[in-house]
Amino acid sequence: MNYSDLLVQGLVEGCIYALIAVGLTLVYGLLRILHIAHAGIFTLGAYIGLLLTNETGSFAAAFVITVVVVGFFGMAFYRLFYEPLLDKPPHVALIASIGLFIAMEEIYRMVFGATSLSFLAPPLKDTVTVAGVRLEEGRVVVVVLAVVLIGGLAVLAGRTRIGIAWRATVSDAAMAESFGIDLARVRYVNFFVASAMAAAAGIMVALLLNQVIPTMGGVPAYKALAIIVLGGLGNVRGTLIAALALGVIESFGTIYLDRVLDRDAIAFAFLIAVLMIRPQGLFIRR
Amino acid sequence: MKALLSIEGVTVRFGGVDALADVGFGVPRGALLGLIGPNGAGKTTMMRVITGMVRPQAGRLAIDGTEISRLPTHRRVRMGLGLSQQLVRPFAGMTAVENVALAAGHATTANPLAALVTISRAAERDRARTLLQLVGIADAADALPDKLPLGYLKRLEMARALALDPKVLLLDEPLAGLNSAEAPHLADTIADLNRQGTTVVLIEHNLIEVMRICRHLVVLDNGRKIGDGEPAVVMADPAVRAAYLGSQEERHAAA
Amino acid sequence: MYEISLLTVMSFSVIFALSLNLITGFCGQISLGHAAFYGIGAYSAALFTTGGGSFWLALPIAMAVAGFFGFIVGFASLRVRHDFLAITTMGVGFLFTGFVRQQEFLGGEEGIAGIPDPGIGQIPYMLLCAAFAAAVIAFSLYLKRSWMGHAFDAIATDEDTARTLGIDVARYKLTAFVFGTGLAGLAGALFAHYVKFVEVESFDFIESISVLAMVIVGGIGSIWGVVVAAAVLSVLPLLLQVFADYKLLIYGVLLFTVMYFAPGGVDSLMQTLWRRISGRQRRDKGQ
Repeated sequence: MNYSDLLVQGLVEGCIYALIAVGLTLVYGLLRILHIAHAGIFTLGAYIGLLLTNETGSFAAAFVITVVVVGFFGMAFYRLFYEPLLDKPPHVALIASIGLFIAMEEIYRMVFGATSLSFLAPPLKDTVTVAGVRLEEGRVVVVVLAVVLIGGLAVLAGRTRIGIAWRATVSDAAMAESFGIDLARVRYVNFFVASAMAAAAGIMVALLLNQVIPTMGGVPAYKALAIIVLGGLGNVRGTLIAALALGVIESFGTIYLDRVLDRDAIAFAFLIAVLMIRPQGLFIRR
Repeated sequence: MKALLSIEGVTVRFGGVDALADVGFGVPRGALLGLIGPNGAGKTTMMRVITGMVRPQAGRLAIDGTEISRLPTHRRVRMGLGLSQQLVRPFAGMTAVENVALAAGHATTANPLAALVTISRAAERDRARTLLQLVGIADAADALPDKLPLGYLKRLEMARALALDPKVLLLDEPLAGLNSAEAPHLADTIADLNRQGTTVVLIEHNLIEVMRICRHLVVLDNGRKIGDGEPAVVMADPAVRAAYLGSQEERHAAA
Repeated sequence: MYEISLLTVMSFSVIFALSLNLITGFCGQISLGHAAFYGIGAYSAALFTTGGGSFWLALPIAMAVAGFFGFIVGFASLRVRHDFLAITTMGVGFLFTGFVRQQEFLGGEEGIAGIPDPGIGQIPYMLLCAAFAAAVIAFSLYLKRSWMGHAFDAIATDEDTARTLGIDVARYKLTAFVFGTGLAGLAGALFAHYVKFVEVESFDFIESISVLAMVIVGGIGSIWGVVVAAAVLSVLPLLLQVFADYKLLIYGVLLFTVMYFAPGGVDSLMQTLWRRISGRQRRDKGQ
């Protein structure tokens, strides 16, 4: 592999991380909850997306339905599990979330089986050449999705009423409420967006690997946690940069660091090194 | 006379705004110094600079001639600063007497090894009860803080600071939240402590009590020092009157 | 015999859970990577005895190595708080597994097999583990009553205020980490010489969460609560096949339901119950 291949592969990975981590940082920014169970929602997206594709034969239709359905699932998840814990000390929601995540993985194992599922006819497997680098179509779609969804989110946050309400709530919830902003609605929308993006990432990972297993959420989710810390918890722009940087670092790291650490530990080595120098993350929360 | 606590050229900027601009004053040994000023003058920021919770962009602090500007909070406390904060922060799981006893054991807790091999708390509890009596809340000794009214918690906070055997006692609005009977009483206690040898820096809004017990005033306004000296002289200064009365009037107008 | 192995497993689980309780319960520093220190203890003891070293020497070595790494991680913990600390310690766990997997001298993915038997027989080994567990319980009880426990309590509640009382928060946190991780190392060494085989999966994130579950279910900071929770949760998978099959589901549900309904764990539930019972008795007498 040459450098441009490594770079492009890294950026594709980084886009997947970004799709997961942006949702996580949105939840943290709004509720100060480390939403570990986000990983379970990611996996749910992968399962539903794969099963619907195999059922309907249309990846595109399955994708859209999955993203919407999982978005609503995220809202219900918030309502059922997190809303009653908002007033409790912060470690309560964190530990509850870990419990939920582990339980979700087990439920997937019981419902869908421990063995991996795969696409009957995996779509988007042809290769195309982009800027001199040969890429699977699925990887191009990942990049496009990341740009469209996260770009769309930026527009939503900047231009629309709900976006402005969202930003106001993030900076000062009590103040926002006194201006008549419906906090509950902002939180629901937040969970919808975060969960929908995680589902999109889940389907794309399922497609690229052509397999779905109950524990597939683990590794990317833990990395997403490292990423949102690097990005400065709650800082969306910082999270994006950290996600892309990590993708690239891992991609090069597998070549140069393989004898010391496995790929999945690089994120945390990077994280710990950074935290020792800048305890507030790479980017300060605005 | 050389100051016990000396503060020179302290400047603190929060996002482009000067919370404190080149403020300096000395606290003589044995003084009961009132640090006053309208809301937002920078008094609490100054207190936080002295205790090391806020790092100033410039300035120098010394206790007894030893520079403390670079020391962390706990080291400053061990050098003789005792702090009673404006917002009371008792340890929720400990009774009032345990809260104070923990501070009274400062010689033991200063060294983790000593803390590991020491069990008995009897002496510290006794001292804690004495101090609770001194500030007038002996009846609440065995209560948990969440069961106590604010007036009690304020005095608990003060007893805890006293338990550190401080050379300089920093009191941030100890009278706030007390009723018109309690306030003069606690002010008398503060004056008594001072007479017994504790140097006190008192931040307080209750000007009547400040004027009654303090023998030295430092006035801050908008992060600058505008007065420093004997209470009567300082309060007669037109600049002080303007800053103070101006803001009082604004407050009345707003209310 | 079956009961012997149950008691042995129970004993090192109690040590492991109490070691985390020291850091998270007493000193208030959450750790999501505690299994790494269990693993460091297990691996260093295994390396030592498979290399011909004495089992008795392996125990203090395991404690020292784990405690040394605990000191380093504790140092890191001084820089970060709360959520940052949770993720950093989780990262430490992943660094451990990620590092071990790539190291030939640690057996990589395969682990280290053929760890020699301590050579004292099954029952004495069980008694040894139980004695260590009893000692760790006693140490916990002592620590909680000492001035160190008092200072830990203050730090766990409000570390900024602890500083204003002259407490050197950093040194206390480091002490908690060294004690806690050293004891986890001891538990790991005992575990390794019981199963005689170590592999990286035994010390992964799930294991960190399992031990956290014991502390949470028992009641964060409660000694007897954690002892009971560790004893019960560690042997249930051995006693009940159902529990073994659905262990993670049960742990997950337990973590969530305890946090949701009784954040104080078994300990506070028992206390509430006790107060109700004794309150009723007092009322009965009064009538």
